[in-house]
Amino acid sequence: MSEPAEQETIVVIDDDYAMRLSCRKILSKMGFRVEAFEDGGQGLEGVTKLKPSLVVVDLKMPGISGMEVVTRIHEVRPEIVLVVITGYPTIDTAVGAMKCGAYDFLPKPFSPDELRLIVNRGLEHRRLSLEMRRGEMERALLKRRFITFVSHQLQTPLVAVHQYLDVLKHLDNTECAAAKRQEWLDRCLKRTEEMQALIKDWLCLARVEGEFLSRQWVKVDLQQTIADILRTYEEMAATNGVSLESSIPENTYLVRGDRNCLSVVFDNLIVNAIKYNKPGGKVIVSAEALDGEVAVAVADTGVGIPEKYRHLLFEEFFRVDGAENKKTPGTGLGLSICRRLVSEMGGSISVDSEVNVGSIFRVRLLEYRAQTEEVENKRSSG
Amino acid sequence: MTSEAEKILIVDDDADFVEALSAFLEAHHYVVLKAYDGREGLKLAKMQQPDLIIMDIIMKERTEGFFTVQEIRRTPELKTVPIFAVSSLYSQVPDFGIAPDSSWLGHDEFLAKPVNMSELLEKVQRHLQERRRNAEASAGRKAES
Repeated sequence: MSEPAEQETIVVIDDDYAMRLSCRKILSKMGFRVEAFEDGGQGLEGVTKLKPSLVVVDLKMPGISGMEVVTRIHEVRPEIVLVVITGYPTIDTAVGAMKCGAYDFLPKPFSPDELRLIVNRGLEHRRLSLEMRRGEMERALLKRRFITFVSHQLQTPLVAVHQYLDVLKHLDNTECAAAKRQEWLDRCLKRTEEMQALIKDWLCLARVEGEFLSRQWVKVDLQQTIADILRTYEEMAATNGVSLESSIPENTYLVRGDRNCLSVVFDNLIVNAIKYNKPGGKVIVSAEALDGEVAVAVADTGVGIPEKYRHLLFEEFFRVDGAENKKTPGTGLGLSICRRLVSEMGGSISVDSEVNVGSIFRVRLLEYRAQTEEVENKRSSG
Repeated sequence: MTSEAEKILIVDDDADFVEALSAFLEAHHYVVLKAYDGREGLKLAKMQQPDLIIMDIIMKERTEGFFTVQEIRRTPELKTVPIFAVSSLYSQVPDFGIAPDSSWLGHDEFLAKPVNMSELLEKVQRHLQERRRNAEASAGRKAES
């Protein structure tokens, strides 16, 4: 039923006739359109005209060298996957080709299977990077249309609630059983909570951006901050079957920061660690001193974050795609707020994660020292 | 004319929206098929040949529904199925969003979210009635020739 995908083109550039012939044979059989050229000049022309997905280039050719062909194609069209083949494989040539933009390296002689494997892997890599770029563009567009986007985000749960109420009004008791009514009312409550969470985050972001929040740089004992937050979410954690613990001792880890900002940051991280956890899972908050800084780790035993999403995690509105996450409400703002606040306090935030094992968010904050305060006071008064 | 219940496909990424609308349509004796993204919707449409499709055009903050509507129109056996495009982006605010033009999107009705149930029912009934009439007419023509 489904239409065949558009045929992808592969260009082969090699001065060896037998090589061109066999590459063409193997790749055509895989369903690609294959065009072969016998030197670099013709090859480059062909690539410009044909816009292939992948190019196989021999390194040793008369005229324009394979390395130069690779460099030029990569400069103009970095999305084309370049596979280099050579009869004189050395580590140096391989590394050189990679540096020029080649994706992979195939020493001669190679078997049809090896060629097939490398081509498939290269094209998969291309698909992923194109997808990623498209995703990034979409998000950039969304940022520009912040208001449209937020109103849509708010409207989605509002519409759901409206629709349920409208149906409840239209259908009488015989048409809709009491159990259904109850279920729908519960959903309505859930969705209004979702709206409240969004508004809360949105306001928080506006405050961060507009600096409406007056910051006070003071000494903060992390033990207290974390303990307060953990207490707030005890019930939520229990509902999710998740246990909370902190190994931070009192009066040991003192950081210099704004109390409200710190609360917002750890509030977000701890809530995430509970939400994206599994029943029977754990959330562990710990800290250690690292030359002038305090590193706080919020670790969970939850679903984890696939590597390909990690660099986008702290972007506004980014949410990890996936069936599991559809069920977890979220606004996509929490971590971007965290990053802003932490960097405002002179710290940094990072994440380590393994899918289905858990994630560790690490926040590095400036250690509080009595002297630093004095030095700064002197500086500002002098 | 068989009295077989007519099939309506709802495609929307918001499960609650789908649930509410399908409960309403089922109470009015339609069979409801549900899909939660464009791809799934297209697959169900091709497999089940619904008599009417209700499609959210902005799903997961993406214009996925737009393409799905166009894809449905490109499918020969789904060329004439009535499509209701729904979205919350194009409602209420004048000048902010103008409902997409059916001449390029290829839908038959546009409904702003939240969907007014009485309006929905009225439009569903009208389109399905027309579709039945057309089917009978073409069956008649076939019988004559």
